[in-house]
Amino acid sequence: MKFGHRNMKRTQQKLPRLMIVSNGREHLDARGLAERQARALPESESVLFQLREKGLEAGLLLELAHSLKPLLDASGSKLLINERADIALAAGAYGVHLPENSLPSSGIRKAFPELATGKSVHSVGAAVDAMKSGIDYLLFGPVFATPSKEGFGAPQGLDELGKVCRSVSIPVFAVGGITPEKSFACLEQGAWGIAAMGAFLDAESLGKTISTFRSYLPS
Amino acid sequence: MKLPRRFLCVITDENRCPVELARMALEGGARMLQLRRKNASGNELFSWAIRIQELCRQNDAIFVVNDRVDIAMAMQADGVHLGQEDLPAATARAMLGPEVLLGVSVSNVEEARRAHADGADYLGLGHIFPTVSKEKPDPPLGIAMIEPVRKAVDLPIVAIGGIDADNASEVIRAGASGLAVISAVASAENPIDATRELIRKIWL
Repeated sequence: MKFGHRNMKRTQQKLPRLMIVSNGREHLDARGLAERQARALPESESVLFQLREKGLEAGLLLELAHSLKPLLDASGSKLLINERADIALAAGAYGVHLPENSLPSSGIRKAFPELATGKSVHSVGAAVDAMKSGIDYLLFGPVFATPSKEGFGAPQGLDELGKVCRSVSIPVFAVGGITPEKSFACLEQGAWGIAAMGAFLDAESLGKTISTFRSYLPS
Repeated sequence: MKLPRRFLCVITDENRCPVELARMALEGGARMLQLRRKNASGNELFSWAIRIQELCRQNDAIFVVNDRVDIAMAMQADGVHLGQEDLPAATARAMLGPEVLLGVSVSNVEEARRAHADGADYLGLGHIFPTVSKEKPDPPLGIAMIEPVRKAVDLPIVAIGGIDADNASEVIRAGASGLAVISAVASAENPIDATRELIRKIWL
C-alpha cells in the first residue's frame, strides 16, 4: 500500500454528487459543447466533469482540457480525463477515469500518484477488484435503459446497483438513463452520486437541470 | 538509452499480432520496435507493450510506444514516439524525465528545430516516399529533405514513409541514421527475411 496515505487524502475529500460526462463529439476547434457546459455551471455548483472524447487526438484533447480547467475551477468543479492519465496530469486535472478495458489501474497509480483514479465497472466482482487496486471511486451502470451508451448490454437495475454499493467502501456513481427523478432511488441503494451525459446535453439550461437534480440529492 | 549508429525501426501495423511481429522483426535484426495501433484498447496496448518491451530487452533492442505517454510511463518503456497531433513533446519530456527516449515526427526544418528544443532524442522524418500505411494528404518529402534537416538540427534522423529494400540504401546515403517501416515488414510474406534484407541494405 505504497500510496495508501495519498489514497486516504483523496477519499477524505468529499466528491461532488453529480458527474457530467462529455458527449464524445467535440470538434477540431475545441470550442464545442463541453466548453459551453463548463461555462454554464453555476458558481455555487461543484460537479465532476469527465472529458470523454475518444475521437480527439491527444494534442487537441489537451488543448480542450486546458480551456475547460479554469472554467471548472470557477465553480470548484473537478476535471476528469477519460482513459489518458498523461493528459490529465498535463492539464492539471483532478483525476483520470478509466474505462473497463483500460490499462491496469495499478500501473496508473504508480506512475501518476498525483491523480485521483476512477473506474467504470459493470459487475460486483469488477467493483471489488477495482477497490482493492486502489481506485478512488467507481462508475456503475447502465442502471437504467439509455440510448447514449449502447454496447454495455441490458440495464442492470437498481438491485444490482445496491449490491455493488454494499460490496465496496468507495463512492459509487450510478450511470445510464439517469434523470433527476431516478437519481434519488440510486442514492437510496447506496450510490454516492450520479453520472450522466444525456441529461446535461442542453448547455443553455444546465443551471436549471443541476438545481433540479439537487432537489433530489443530499448536499 | 543510446541509439545505434544505423538501425531499422519496425512499427506494428493494424493486422498482425504486434508481439508476433516484434518477435520476427527482432529475429531479423531490427534494433528498434514501435508499438502503434490506433484502434486498440488501453488494456490491449498495455499487455502488448509489456511483452514487446521484454523481447526488446532480451534482444538488446529499443522499444518505444507511439502516442500513449501514459502507457509508456505505466510499464516503463524505453521510449515514446510522438506525432505532431499527439501531446506536445515538451509536455511529454517534462513527464517522462530525461532518461526516457523521445522521438518526434517532423516533416520540415521548423518542426525539427522545435522538436529539438522540446527535448526530442531523435526525429522521425517523413513521409519520404508515397506510402500506403497511413493516409497522407501532403506530397512526399523526397530524400532531398534529409540534408537540410540534418544541417539544421543535431539529432539522429529516422526516415519513414514508403521505405523498402529498393530505396533503403539511398535514404541512408542521403543522411538518415535509421529507417522506420510499417508495411515493408508487417505486410511481407516473411517478416524475418524482409527485416534481414532491409538491414543488409542499411549497411551496404
